[in-house]
Amino acid sequence: MADMILKGGEYLIADVACESVFTPEDFSDEQKQFAETTEQFVMNEIVPKMEEIDQQNFELVVEGMKKCGDLGLLMMDTPEEYGGLDLDKASSMLVAEKISYGGSFSVAFSAHTGIGTLPLVYYGTPEQKEKYLGRIISGEWCAAYCLTEPGSGSDALGAQATAVLSEDGGHYVLNGTKQFITNGGFAQIFTIFAKVDKQHFTAFLVERDFPGLVVGAEEKKMGIKGSSTTQIILDNCKVPEENVLGEIGKGHKIAFNVLNVGRFKLGAAVTGASKMALVTGIKYANERVQFKKKISSFGAIGEKIADLTAAIFASESLVYRLAGLLDEKLATIDKDIDNYYVEYLKGIEEYASECGISKVFCSEVLAQTVDEVVQIFGGYGFVSDYPAERYYRDERINRIFEGTNEINRLLIPGMILRKAMKGELPLQAEAMKAFESLMTPSFEELDESIPFVAEKVLLKNLKTLFLILAGTGVQKFMDKIADEQEILMAAADIAIQIFALESAVLRAEKALPRFSERKQGLVRAAVKVFAFSASETAGSAARKGAFYIEEGDTLTMILAGVRRFTKYDATGLLAAKRLLAEAACEEERYLFG
Amino acid sequence: MKILVCIKQVPDMESKFKVAADSRWYDTADLAWRMNEYDEFAVEQAVLVKEQVGDADITVLSIGPDKVKETIKKALAMGCDRGVHIADDEVSSREPFQIAGMIAEYARDKNFDLILTGMQSQDRGSGQVGILVAELLDLPGVSTVVAFSLADGRLELRRELEGGVKARVATGLPAVVTCQLGLNNPRYPTLPNIMKAKKKELITVGVADVLKVEARQQTAKLYFPEKKGGGLILEGEPAEVADRLITILKEKTAVLA
Ligand SMILES: Cc1cc2nc3c(=O)[nH]c(=O)nc-3n(C[C@H](O)[C@H](O)[C@H](O)COP(=O)(O)OP(=O)(O)OC[C@H]3O[C@@H](n4cnc5c(N)ncnc54)[C@H](O)[C@@H]3O)c2cc1C
Repeated sequence: MADMILKGGEYLIADVACESVFTPEDFSDEQKQFAETTEQFVMNEIVPKMEEIDQQNFELVVEGMKKCGDLGLLMMDTPEEYGGLDLDKASSMLVAEKISYGGSFSVAFSAHTGIGTLPLVYYGTPEQKEKYLGRIISGEWCAAYCLTEPGSGSDALGAQATAVLSEDGGHYVLNGTKQFITNGGFAQIFTIFAKVDKQHFTAFLVERDFPGLVVGAEEKKMGIKGSSTTQIILDNCKVPEENVLGEIGKGHKIAFNVLNVGRFKLGAAVTGASKMALVTGIKYANERVQFKKKISSFGAIGEKIADLTAAIFASESLVYRLAGLLDEKLATIDKDIDNYYVEYLKGIEEYASECGISKVFCSEVLAQTVDEVVQIFGGYGFVSDYPAERYYRDERINRIFEGTNEINRLLIPGMILRKAMKGELPLQAEAMKAFESLMTPSFEELDESIPFVAEKVLLKNLKTLFLILAGTGVQKFMDKIADEQEILMAAADIAIQIFALESAVLRAEKALPRFSERKQGLVRAAVKVFAFSASETAGSAARKGAFYIEEGDTLTMILAGVRRFTKYDATGLLAAKRLLAEAACEEERYLFG
Repeated sequence: MKILVCIKQVPDMESKFKVAADSRWYDTADLAWRMNEYDEFAVEQAVLVKEQVGDADITVLSIGPDKVKETIKKALAMGCDRGVHIADDEVSSREPFQIAGMIAEYARDKNFDLILTGMQSQDRGSGQVGILVAELLDLPGVSTVVAFSLADGRLELRRELEGGVKARVATGLPAVVTCQLGLNNPRYPTLPNIMKAKKKELITVGVADVLKVEARQQTAKLYFPEKKGGGLILEGEPAEVADRLITILKEKTAVLA
């Protein structure tokens, strides 16, 4: 079975069957209950306090985190032998999605359970876990993660903070400044990166009370105002030698592996935020009357609601498909082996490119959503008395942290090309075939008996297009392709649209037999609306990429290929949008979750 | 102490309801389902009793199609010990006497000391099932309970009556109690308890084994109340408003004719 699992990046060359993907319709009763507990907790205990939290009443945040601890929400990704639950990724994504309704609070939650806890889980010694994990998963201690510095953000390994071993070898002395540390104001335990002897990048577990750890002032921010963001200043901070996390000089592994996990979870969290914002927008559109009609009855507003519904459907499909891939992969690893977490992290790294896609695509769907929701609110979207304004401000950070969307876009084709170089993906051979197909005319007739055949043909064509562009790009620039960022951005955009559209189509196909006739109509409409948008976005990226890479006859040939391979017959698009808009407005909810 | 809690799965009340094709019930397609809110009070009360007395065993029972197991599992995660699913795909066409009949039939020889139900269901809202169970089992039944205390094998209860009036009622055990809003704050099932609940016993009973009574009433037709026209609000000086009102009544109605 194990080798049946789709490998990282393989979606670009393989045909995927819908039975093999995990979808929200596959949640178990337990997973649905996790979601219900989380949602009730957030809606009843956090949302009513949101305004106070956004005025930086951090006591409420700390108290909320303790309640999360009582409910078991902080122990999802921690091993059972230390009191954790060690749940699958689909479960922890679902919880991340529901927690996101808590605005700033969810940032504290995500930082704590993600970058705050996971370095210890993955790299801690049994003694370190024994000492700290219990307090972290109960919410008694909040956790933070200190990688960024004033001079090094995206270039995280360029950190300047230093660590020097004391003469007696008993402790390290840390010096430096860490920037933008989430939970800095109240965290009790920090994972801090510093260079031993100015060269060996290393992580340390640092308690708040260790001498020499100074917490800076709160940053004044555009959004997520109720999350704590401070500098952490290390002024001859004394850290016992046994608090080195992982190996000296191997800190970069910790930093990157934890970011992979953070990226796919961010995808889930922003998907939840998108749903919340959409529903707020729909409800408002049903209340607001202009020209004696509800504004939701205007096509211009309905179209926004339809487009967002379709985009969120893709976002959600993508997130849980990736969760399923990771869970399948991780399930193949024997939990009793000594190097379990080494293998585990390799398993996640396999999908580093898809994790980047999750981060970029889903955060940009949220960006589109909050922007349109402000627009639906009109002038009231611009004033703070209504929630649209906060959604708009809170959204912005998601395209910046956990690796900016630029850094992630570079990584998306970067990881795929690296796999190709290593011989793990037969990209070159496939690219050759794709290029040849440019020269052979096609007379494809759609076999209408296949569900979503038009979208499946589009996907196959977009994959061919990706291979043509990546292939010509690599051929032209060889190992210098990494310097051609504009081309990589374009390639990333095509890959992102392929993965998102494929996830949406496969989910829809899998769900059809379980849906009522009415809901089948809705899901078909959502697929059509999103497929149209994906073909346009990928087409525009491909055209741009073609101009960047080629000229002359080859360019002409590739441009003809772009036209041919992005063709999508969206007959009925308007009716599909109206159907979605009408249903969403009637039910006042996100239609598929 | 043996406790039985009876719960119902109902649609999320924020759903947009449609009348079903046969006009006897609502259309159940595409709805999201959850535990009847009043039944959450019943489950919580059972668990509180267990926490108080220590030695107690809670059975949670639900009637319906396979998907009601999801709701039974929630009750197990809240602290019930075992689940009983009476498999009945026709549950929505049963009237309260049949539902109560099934519960009573199941409970008859099992010596429950306490039977808890919700005061009513959020969808049908008959408010009859709990008290009919008491009647069928020949037990004392106390409805719409908002305060509950157990001491020396006796229950001290407070019932909510019309107009904010409360009644204090005491009874011995066994007894049937139906639970009303305000009785307690149902807990959220914690994640570890949700996982533990997976291992709890959940047995299925066929509907034919427990359905021994005939229906006594039928739903003739289910329909939305007719939409009334919008009201008219008159604003201004009282004397002037009164004049306008009289004009309207004269012109548009027959009351002053
Ligand atoms: C509210 C908030 C909370 C945060 N929480 C934490 C935390 O808890 N722990 C922590 O360690 N960090 C945290 N960060 C830091 C965050 O991860 C960084 O801000 C982020 O990685 C970007 O780094 P930077 O701000 O230095 O921007 P820069 O790296 O200076 O980037 C500036 C611009 O240049 C682009 N760019 C940079 N390098 C490249 C390149 N090679 N190629 C192309 N484009 C490039 C970027 O995409 C960006 O558009 C937080 C930041 C904020 C604002």
